[in-house]
Amino acid sequence: MKLTRWIAVKIVTGLIMIWVVASAMFLLLRWMPGNPAQTRYAELILHGDTPQQAQRATAALYGFIPKQPLIEQYGHYIWQLLHLNLGQSIQEEGVPVSHIVATAAPWTLIMCLSGIVASFLIGVTLGVASALRRMTKVGDGITWVGAIINGIPTYIVASLLLYVFATEWAIFPQGGTVSILYTPGWNAGYIGNLITHAVLPVTAYTLSLVGAWILTTKSSVISVLGDDFILAAELRGIRPLTVARYILRNAMLPLFTILSLALGLMFSGAVFIEDVFNYPGLGQQLLTSLNDNDYPVLSGAFLLIIVSVIIANFLADLAYPLIDPRVRRS
Amino acid sequence: MSVTASLPPEQLQQALSRSRARSASRWRILVRTPGRVIALAVVIIFTLMALVGPYLYPKNLPINASDIYAPPSLAHPLGTDFAGTDILALIVTGARYVLLAAFIAAVVTLVIGTAAGLGAGYYPRSFGRPIMRVTDFVLAIPGFPLLMVLSTIWSFGSPLQMGLVLGITGWGGIARAVRAQTLSLRERGFVEAARGLGLPGRRVIGTEILPNVAPYVSMNLMIQLTGFIYTEVGLFFLGIVKYSSSNWGVMLNNAVFQADALTNPRSLSYLLSPLICILAITISLVTLANVGDEIFNPRLRRI
Repeated sequence: MKLTRWIAVKIVTGLIMIWVVASAMFLLLRWMPGNPAQTRYAELILHGDTPQQAQRATAALYGFIPKQPLIEQYGHYIWQLLHLNLGQSIQEEGVPVSHIVATAAPWTLIMCLSGIVASFLIGVTLGVASALRRMTKVGDGITWVGAIINGIPTYIVASLLLYVFATEWAIFPQGGTVSILYTPGWNAGYIGNLITHAVLPVTAYTLSLVGAWILTTKSSVISVLGDDFILAAELRGIRPLTVARYILRNAMLPLFTILSLALGLMFSGAVFIEDVFNYPGLGQQLLTSLNDNDYPVLSGAFLLIIVSVIIANFLADLAYPLIDPRVRRS
Repeated sequence: MSVTASLPPEQLQQALSRSRARSASRWRILVRTPGRVIALAVVIIFTLMALVGPYLYPKNLPINASDIYAPPSLAHPLGTDFAGTDILALIVTGARYVLLAAFIAAVVTLVIGTAAGLGAGYYPRSFGRPIMRVTDFVLAIPGFPLLMVLSTIWSFGSPLQMGLVLGITGWGGIARAVRAQTLSLRERGFVEAARGLGLPGRRVIGTEILPNVAPYVSMNLMIQLTGFIYTEVGLFFLGIVKYSSSNWGVMLNNAVFQADALTNPRSLSYLLSPLICILAITISLVTLANVGDEIFNPRLRRI
């Protein structure tokens, strides 16, 4: 009973957050230098449209009509949003924004999820190893590698991967998602080609996250290692594997917080990686729309990113008490 | 001093030598390995560069069309760029924007994040609830896309503006991590004992909980500081932010997109110089974070 109430509160909070961000986007579109909706409206009038036509066209693009009073514009915008109508693209005329972002999202999702899982597994393993061996050359070495990988910005990692494995040695394709030579479908050639195109971007994601995992895991495990109950367990002669389980269970809490943060961060990396590898995901879409002043797409892509992060955080919140019983108690 | 001044001379002497011994042991930890000394030196050099660098060169760096992409020489220790400008000069004058913005962002993050996290963790009900709502909100909005959107209405021309925006959008991580640690520490015996003694919450937080979260905060802040550097450099790298003077990010953008540094070896120095600076400052900060970790947490020290 208490749990369902807690979940309901979380869902309502999430919806309120989405509403706040959507409202902020609305204001942003209006405050933006030159007010794009207003400019578009004026343009259409200049082209000889009647005010009604111009109004309808701007409303289709932005979800609100610039000549109306503010509150009515806002109501119209929210109403359209509730119907998942994000307006239309300016650059690709007449194409609904929801269609554009819906085609872009899966690419980013697949990239990011594979990158997060791979980097989590590799990073946590190396982090625990470096914490347990912290007095030795191996431990110091892992920490250094982690720090260096963490120190190389994603854009550089991506550019270097592209240069080495696509230009110098040409093992992997330069960019894009799949070669046009293959017919889409469940055939080996097509799937194989998709995977070869995905290898470099996924590697770039993995490398961009793995350093942070190593460093935080190490720091977290070390702080647990200093705890008295670990010493007591060791003195009691408990098997090392069991002690390791105690350590990991306790070290998970800060790591878990970071995992839910990484879900939000992944979109930042996505922008650079998709830009370098010409991968048509949400980050690429955000950048293109920014450069083209395609504000409806910009705001639509941004809203979708926010909603995904809110959902991811919600799922992480649900799992939080499962991992640390001390949190459940309070 | 006001406390020790009233002590009898011999006790004062003891207190002074104790504090001297403590700072001496901290110094020993800091200089224990050559890597740490180098890290400290790197941070000091870059700080000095950011402080005085722009005064060492004329406001508009000289360009020389007959000397573009010059290899490193005595006159140009790191070579020249596409306009014949000395790369070393660009690096030195570009340090201020990058480091100052990251520093301002870090200060904002440290103050807001730690205070919010400690308060929210120690008073989960009264203070924690509203604060965590705000924190969740700040966290839910992915920083980089937000900055991209903000760049359409906000000018990032000065490091203060950049730093403030980075800091205000970036404190959520530390607040949440500190709160998680505080929530867990709160249930530990020594904190319950301190509360049982009737110490005020302010004191329990300051003397019992803060020292225990400090290593984590310092570690996290150093990682975040490097994160701030990438983020701002990244904004310039993508070429979506207007800039008034060159900095490392602008250099990287020019190197990759104008000078084709990835395929053109003659502009390699132009690409590598800002890159190595970013790497050097990052690795140094992480190394110093480890030093801080050891100082705060005596159990980690190697005897």
